[in-house]
Amino acid sequence: MAIKFERVSFQYRGVDDKGYLALADINLSIAAQGEFITLIGETGSGKSTLAQHMNALLAPTEGRVHIFGVKLTSDKKKNRKQRLNPIRQRVGLVFQFPEYQLFEETVLKDIIFGPKNFGVPHEEALERAKKMIQIVGLDESYLERSPFNLSGGEKKRVSIAGILAMEPEILILDEPTSGLDPMGRNALLKVFYDIHEKLGKTVMIITHDMDTVYEYAKRVLVLREGALVYDGEPPGLFSRKHVEDWNLELPEILRIQRALEERFGIRLEKNPTSRKELIEALGEVVM
Amino acid sequence: MNRIVIGRYIPGNSFLYRMDPRTKLIAMILLMVGVFLIQSFLHMFVALALVTLILVFGRLSVKRVYLGLRPLVFLLMFTFLFQVLFNRQGELLYSLALHYTILNLSLAFMVVLLWGFTKRFIRFRLLYFLGAVVGIFALLHSISFGVVLGEGTFAVYEQGLSTAFFIMVRLIIIITLSTILTITTKPTDLNLGLESILRPLRVLRINAEEIAMIIAISLRYIPTLLEEANKIMLAQASRGVDFQEGKLKDKVIQVVSLLVPMFIISFQRSDDLANAMEARSFVPGQERTRLHILCWSKLDTVALACTSLALAGVVLLRVVGW
Repeated sequence: MAIKFERVSFQYRGVDDKGYLALADINLSIAAQGEFITLIGETGSGKSTLAQHMNALLAPTEGRVHIFGVKLTSDKKKNRKQRLNPIRQRVGLVFQFPEYQLFEETVLKDIIFGPKNFGVPHEEALERAKKMIQIVGLDESYLERSPFNLSGGEKKRVSIAGILAMEPEILILDEPTSGLDPMGRNALLKVFYDIHEKLGKTVMIITHDMDTVYEYAKRVLVLREGALVYDGEPPGLFSRKHVEDWNLELPEILRIQRALEERFGIRLEKNPTSRKELIEALGEVVM
Repeated sequence: MNRIVIGRYIPGNSFLYRMDPRTKLIAMILLMVGVFLIQSFLHMFVALALVTLILVFGRLSVKRVYLGLRPLVFLLMFTFLFQVLFNRQGELLYSLALHYTILNLSLAFMVVLLWGFTKRFIRFRLLYFLGAVVGIFALLHSISFGVVLGEGTFAVYEQGLSTAFFIMVRLIIIITLSTILTITTKPTDLNLGLESILRPLRVLRINAEEIAMIIAISLRYIPTLLEEANKIMLAQASRGVDFQEGKLKDKVIQVVSLLVPMFIISFQRSDDLANAMEARSFVPGQERTRLHILCWSKLDTVALACTSLALAGVVLLRVVGW
């Protein structure tokens, strides 16, 4: 297991020494390869805090986190003795707001900033930048532009390209599709899915979009008030009980499927997770 | 960051909290002026005792205020030492012959190094520092063999000691008074009070309301900006910026990677804020009604009378020359 959480709790230090418990007793393990995970939960449920534990930006206040053989505990001195920087190359984390990381004069410089920090030679970093800018759906002419004159969606893509160029083994994205139009959203999700499918890497996406969860994820984690309440496959998540208890919104495809069952009594052979699959399944029934 | 007590409001309930911010501001200024006029040791001790009384009756913890003073301990010590060492007026109280030789200078240097390396393991750092200073003087005094580079004396004069004492106690009282003010007054109230006190300056074409608004906005955005800075640091750390180590060249890049987004976010924020204010029909300089209206109570009259009396007393003492 590449990342392993053992009874992890995390408390933010607040004013008057009263802490705010962001994570409570979390046990979790994530493989270095072949996983496609979505992490969902209401705002303030600890999703971002959990993600920041995964590349050693935060250390637990209780319990242990193992990341590629490095052990993090509440002991700050011991944590500091270990080299945490290499972990951040192996576990790439894309933050929710691109404004927090763009600072160079050109997009190119910004994309190669990460790789160069991790010792990638200049030439190779340039190669990667050219490749990644296309992968995130922008063309090479963007490389010479200033990152501050881009639109919100473009900034987002540049910040994602900056992390992709580090070639992390595990890719974690904090709401990568917020603020994008539906077309751009689908295209980017496809990119992440391709990274997972073709390169066999583990990808974890934090999202509020149940359609993403249902269509792409092989595993879904649900956080509620800092506790991990569900860790399993998406279809199991949308059972009536969970949907009511956790206030979940049903994915579009599942809503259609259930409506078909209730109104027309149409039973589909297997559960479709995307529009394409739904149409195919419907086709079979009609035939 | 949570240790900084200066400028922090701590909720509580005592007469200090019930006072009008205007009263508190004016009373503080009156008392500060008074403290500067005091010239005798006895009166200074009385003043110190009075401030402590305010703390006790205002139900503020003395420890909290002491914690507020702590960051300034080095400044206080420095002024004290400076005065004692260089003010050579009045009667000579004490003198110590010092010999500067290669041996004892290098020993003194080693004491400094030792202090530097071990200070982090010691609990009472201040005492330890004092111990180190005394140790160096003892070394310079007692060891006199070897090549002598020079001679000197460490002398304490009456005037030096008393000036040092006055400066230190004055500083302590002033800082304590202002800490009391900020602990017991919400920044918004303080601002409102300040605005109301500065209003007469309109005669000089100074717009108190605008100044107060600027202060209020800056205070409001300090925690926000700190939070933003923290987020930026995390985002850059994810891209391999190691804020804990690095050579000078790396440090420069670290700072740039933090400052540029910081600037951009601040500009965006202020733009958003300006729009939000305009959307609520804010027009600079326009007369506005208020949500909170300051009201003057009997307590304020009493407090102001007491502090004015105290100041008058000090002035009188000074004039009479006791």
